Amino acid sequence: MTDSLKILIVEDEALLAMELESLVEDAGHSVVGWATSLAEARAMIDSTRADIAFVDIHLTDGPTGIDVAEYIDGRKNAMVVFMTANPKRIPDHFAGAIGVIAKPYTTNGVTSALRYLQEGVRRPPPTSERPAGFTLSPAFETVWAPGR
Amino acid sequence: MDTKRTREPADAWHMTDDLHAEQGKGDPFAAAIRATRMSMIITDPRRQDNPIVFANDAFLRMTGYERHEVLGRNCRFLQGPKTEKAAVAQIRAAIADETDLSVDILNYRKDGSSFWNALYISPVSNDKGEVQFFFASQLDVSDRKRSEHRITADKERFEKAVKERTAELEAALEAQTTLLHEVDHRVKNNLQMISSLILMQSRTVSDENLKRSLGTMLERIEALSTVHRRLYQSKDVSKFDVSDFARDLISDLLTASGRSEINPTLELEPIVVPAEKATPVALMVNELVTNALKHAFKERPDGTKSGSIGIKMSQPDGHLNIEVSDDGVGMAGANGDASFGMRLIKSLARQLRADIEWRDAGPGTRVVISMPNGPQHKGNLS
Ligand SMILES: Nc1ncnc2c1ncn2[C@@H]1O[C@H](COP(=O)(O)OP(=O)(O)OP(=O)(O)O)[C@@H](O)[C@H]1O
Ligand SMILES: [Mg+2]
Repeated sequence: MTDSLKILIVEDEALLAMELESLVEDAGHSVVGWATSLAEARAMIDSTRADIAFVDIHLTDGPTGIDVAEYIDGRKNAMVVFMTANPKRIPDHFAGAIGVIAKPYTTNGVTSALRYLQEGVRRPPPTSERPAGFTLSPAFETVWAPGR
Repeated sequence: MDTKRTREPADAWHMTDDLHAEQGKGDPFAAAIRATRMSMIITDPRRQDNPIVFANDAFLRMTGYERHEVLGRNCRFLQGPKTEKAAVAQIRAAIADETDLSVDILNYRKDGSSFWNALYISPVSNDKGEVQFFFASQLDVSDRKRSEHRITADKERFEKAVKERTAELEAALEAQTTLLHEVDHRVKNNLQMISSLILMQSRTVSDENLKRSLGTMLERIEALSTVHRRLYQSKDVSKFDVSDFARDLISDLLTASGRSEINPTLELEPIVVPAEKATPVALMVNELVTNALKHAFKERPDGTKSGSIGIKMSQPDGHLNIEVSDDGVGMAGANGDASFGMRLIKSLARQLRADIEWRDAGPGTRVVISMPNGPQHKGNLS
């Protein structure tokens, strides 16, 4: 069994954060923190160790999800997956993120994405099929899904 | 004229002087120039400051001067405060270069009123090629100039109005687009919240039947969510690709743990339906596929199920055919008229004017749907 993942949730909607936490835990992973703003996210990234951060674009202090991703990309201590209802707002370079799970997602979609990410983070490239509703960034597309 | 010519035949200056002196009346050309309604003058560049040596009556009428007031003077007395410097420079250059020139220039009458003068100047040379004098004709084109100015002004005003209106419309369109994105964003977030609420609630429920019921409800809402997500991901929000939806649906349902033994067979032609049909078609497919997954295959002792599910979609002329099949236990007469899922499928079929039929596929079940789908939606994704 590969090691389970430590997940940081950056999401301003409490309900969505709660649900995501349950989905993450059901899949055998753990949530190390929940941030609702850029400042909170920065503090958590500096103080906790996470493998993946699920980052919404719209946070309590505005569309700062991209800044969160850039901050994480600069520190290189976690990897980002955007989770947003507005994937068109993501810049072309994805701010270094692996990809995006577009809202509204399905519970199965998130569960499959977690398995795919676990494979990708622990023993890249992932072996299972890329889940529907999960889009890879161009940079990760070439590494994780070459020729697809 | 003949007598003058005998006196100093080659001297054009004298000839003009003669004209000015109103002699040579026998010359029909001179008479014509005097009498024409076209204003004309002759100047002598060989004399100090190129003075007027002849002016016809039309010139005097146009400018309002007496003959004695203009003879011997340079033409610049016609200029005034609003005369364009560039036009004056053009005239000066034409005279210096001894070339002809046609130019519109703003001139002034004796009473100070102005008029637009379509001026034509040309040098007149003797046999040796030496310029003897300049011939100039004038035409009052104030009316033409006025309408030219009006047309230019009208055009500018019109262009400005068009530009302003275009900017307004662009701003309105941008506001609309922003609004649409905002609404779309909220709808997606709300769909996500509804799913989350159901999921969170079902976690607190211990009754297995109730749990299963909430699970089915979640699946249906997720099918709606997927329709909405796919619709607004595409470039054209008015069309929906049913085949892509089916592919997503089956991969979403099958990758969930415990169903890995179920093998999907997909034969999907790209099929596009108008957006208003997206939800009923997607819901119907969702019901049929989830039914097959739930009911067709016997659970093994280890909790897994095995078998295969097929989805076929094709589009023979003007029709959309969908087939969902399994190789499971079969329906064995279970028509389920009282159950919600079956009623939902049949109502959606009615809404879509679709024929739906459950066939015994021995083994398993084959559900065949056939519905009209206007040919205008075939391969019309652009
Ligand atoms: N593909 C299938 N293979 C075997 N049995 C089926 C199949 N599809 C439907 N059935 C039978 O028909 C019944 C009615 O289905 P229906 O979808 O109406 O109800 P349901 O799936 O049990 O509940 P729900 O109302 O939540 O959908 C099912 O209970 C099942 O016994
Ligand atoms: Mg059913």
